[in-house]
Amino acid sequence: MNDTNVILVTGVAGYWGGRVARRLLNEPDLHVIGLDTEPPENVNIEALDYVQADVRNPLLPDLLNAAGVDAVCHLAFIGGVRRNETRFDTNVMGAMKLIGACAESRVRRLVVKSSTMVYGANANNSAFLAEDAPLNGGRRYGYNRYRLEIEAFINGFRRQAPELEMTVLRFANVVGPTADTPFNRYLRGPIAPVLLGFDPLLQVTHEDDVVEALAHATLGERSGPINVAADPPMPLLRILALAGRVPLPIAHPLAYQAVRWLGSSRLGKAIPFEPDYLRYRWVADTERMREELDFFPQFSGDEAVETVGTHLRLERYKPTADEMAYDEERLQQTIARRRQSAAAEEAKEVENG
Amino acid sequence: MADESARCVATTRAGTRCKNRSQPGSKYCHVHLALGESATTPPDETAAGDAQTAERDEEALRREMAAEIDDLIEDLHDRSPEFEPPPFSPRAMVDLIKQNLDHLPPPMRADVLYRLRDAVAREDRFDAETWKGIWAMIHYWRYQQETFVQRLGNLPFDLPTEQLKKMANLFSEDLLDPDTWKGLWFMVSYSAKYQADVVRRRFTGEYETDEWGLDWEFLEAVRPFFTFLYKYYWRVEASGLENIPDYERALIVSNHSGQLPFDGAMIGTAVLTEHPAQRLVRNLYADWFPSLPFLAPLFEKMGQTLASVENGTQLLENEELVAVYPEGYKGVGKLFKDRYRLARFGRGGFVKMALNTQAPIIPTAVVGAEETYISLYKSDLLAKATGFPYFPLSPTWPWLGLLGLVPLPTKWTIDFGEPIPMDGYPPDAAQNLVLVSQLTDQVRNVVQEMIMERLAQRRSIFFG
Repeated sequence: MNDTNVILVTGVAGYWGGRVARRLLNEPDLHVIGLDTEPPENVNIEALDYVQADVRNPLLPDLLNAAGVDAVCHLAFIGGVRRNETRFDTNVMGAMKLIGACAESRVRRLVVKSSTMVYGANANNSAFLAEDAPLNGGRRYGYNRYRLEIEAFINGFRRQAPELEMTVLRFANVVGPTADTPFNRYLRGPIAPVLLGFDPLLQVTHEDDVVEALAHATLGERSGPINVAADPPMPLLRILALAGRVPLPIAHPLAYQAVRWLGSSRLGKAIPFEPDYLRYRWVADTERMREELDFFPQFSGDEAVETVGTHLRLERYKPTADEMAYDEERLQQTIARRRQSAAAEEAKEVENG
Repeated sequence: MADESARCVATTRAGTRCKNRSQPGSKYCHVHLALGESATTPPDETAAGDAQTAERDEEALRREMAAEIDDLIEDLHDRSPEFEPPPFSPRAMVDLIKQNLDHLPPPMRADVLYRLRDAVAREDRFDAETWKGIWAMIHYWRYQQETFVQRLGNLPFDLPTEQLKKMANLFSEDLLDPDTWKGLWFMVSYSAKYQADVVRRRFTGEYETDEWGLDWEFLEAVRPFFTFLYKYYWRVEASGLENIPDYERALIVSNHSGQLPFDGAMIGTAVLTEHPAQRLVRNLYADWFPSLPFLAPLFEKMGQTLASVENGTQLLENEELVAVYPEGYKGVGKLFKDRYRLARFGRGGFVKMALNTQAPIIPTAVVGAEETYISLYKSDLLAKATGFPYFPLSPTWPWLGLLGLVPLPTKWTIDFGEPIPMDGYPPDAAQNLVLVSQLTDQVRNVVQEMIMERLAQRRSIFFG
């Protein structure tokens, strides 16, 4: 049987936290605690043991000990390209404090979500970047800078707390119909800028595979960084063709200047990553994923991109807000809840006479 | 669904139920009507003894052959169900053979006839049912060939056949034969359809690349250019291709020259076009190329990769044919006065790859590439300003602009030498720096000797 039975998911009100919590709740004999500053909307709150707190809370070690948490899946991370104090506090300081708390308590395993972008795109990158490759990722955009800082901290902390198993899953470009990720934003934008005369090979991961891999790693036994990506890597122009986007070629010196000058303006954010990522090869080696994590993505690369293409195609024909069909599942849940509370009130009234 | 009684009851050789309708008054279809009993009833098991076993083997073989022909007929029939072969007669069979004899090359005709006569003479081996099967098969086959052109597409207009025939008579040339033009039209329309399909698939993303970025369709598209350079411009003569294995891993180590890396392209073209296995050479290139627009994807789509020990090792482990140019920039950018003097062979990374994977090293000498450009001087200032790893000044470059980049049409030879085995070393030999540097020097000397040997034979730079 599984020896892990109490699991803490941080950032449970966020997209990934919510999805992973829901996925873990499907597992039998598992107690899932969700941590966030605001209550989650989409997770079945009765089954989830929700705790309203911030990851930076000084009482966190006490909570971990009291609940007897075995494994932590850390998903409290604010993405986005901008950098500011709030984000640094939540992302970097939050991760540091959480990891410290885990080391203080009896937590045995910690899973952190990262990205293969931390390797960076360089001309002399190896064709397949193994997990021990140097982390030379771009530091201009917030999400990647904070991830690099978290990874550097974890690498240093490994020596200090050898008994805490820290798994860092580095996901390749996450695509899918619902997730809000840099590459998804790039695929959904009004234009898809590419660098003229460059067509690098890129890897993608489907959002469902991300959730599955995180759950798998939380319940699994491997530690250390592991790359997660779907095969095969595909040329950027093929990805755009599969997603039904028309590429807009820009001369590369212009693109670098544009990012420098336009900075965080809307135009500058048309490419949500640094131009280098559209220029050089940064394909991660997925051997560890298959051999050690024992994880095989459900979606192949082209299938994953096609889900985005299908979604984008359908979105054009979506009804507007007022004529939109209601979310039946949610409505049913609401009705059931109302019915229950009404019944409870009735019973109370009967009791009171 | 369909009326079961109207179906043929025979089973095909693939073990599935025959799909054809049965002939009126029989439970077999037109194919199995003749062969049905023999193909479906199990052989008599009572016979015993060696001679009988042999006979039974032959019987089984014959039955198998009959069933195989039967399968072929069924397949052909499925493709053109409206066609029915004419009824079989031995006389017509001989006529059929006579007619079709013209399609065979003359030396084969007599041979085919002898074989047929032998087969007919041994009546017990080749019964009438088999002949009937062959008869039906040939007819289906010919029908397929005749209708192939029609299935490709019909002409959207009527050719003025009569006038064209008159003109054809005037000139009495094949070129003016209306059938020639018809054939040409079909060729062109078929090729246009294919090209349109390629373009469509490029736009919808329905093409494949391997994990290194190799795109065969792209490679085939740019191949004619390199074949032109290979065959007509530099008139490359490749020797020693038999030293390259057909399937196993091997590491080609070559000298590097000519300012632009055309020598790599020509080694690749030589192996792809002249080697019996038509292997793709995975050239390892310097880290300047990934940053160049257009060249970076061009190289990647042609299956080439950045030079590094990890990449080379991984390619060799996949049983690929890898080519390295250990001289690097020092070699490719060498001055005209230093031609054919090998520069330092790097830090021996290629030897490490070969030792890691026990891949044989094939020393290779390219002669003729050194004279394609005459580099008189290397300008450090311009190199720094342009970001090039070296900036040659030649009588034409950069004075004539892009025109100065046109290489001289020298005569090239590529010699692939005897493989140097790399499997006799201990497993951690790649860590032994002394061994690595010794092997590096050894390979370098072999390549230098091969170059000298070729230079000694060469009379003219332009004519070999």
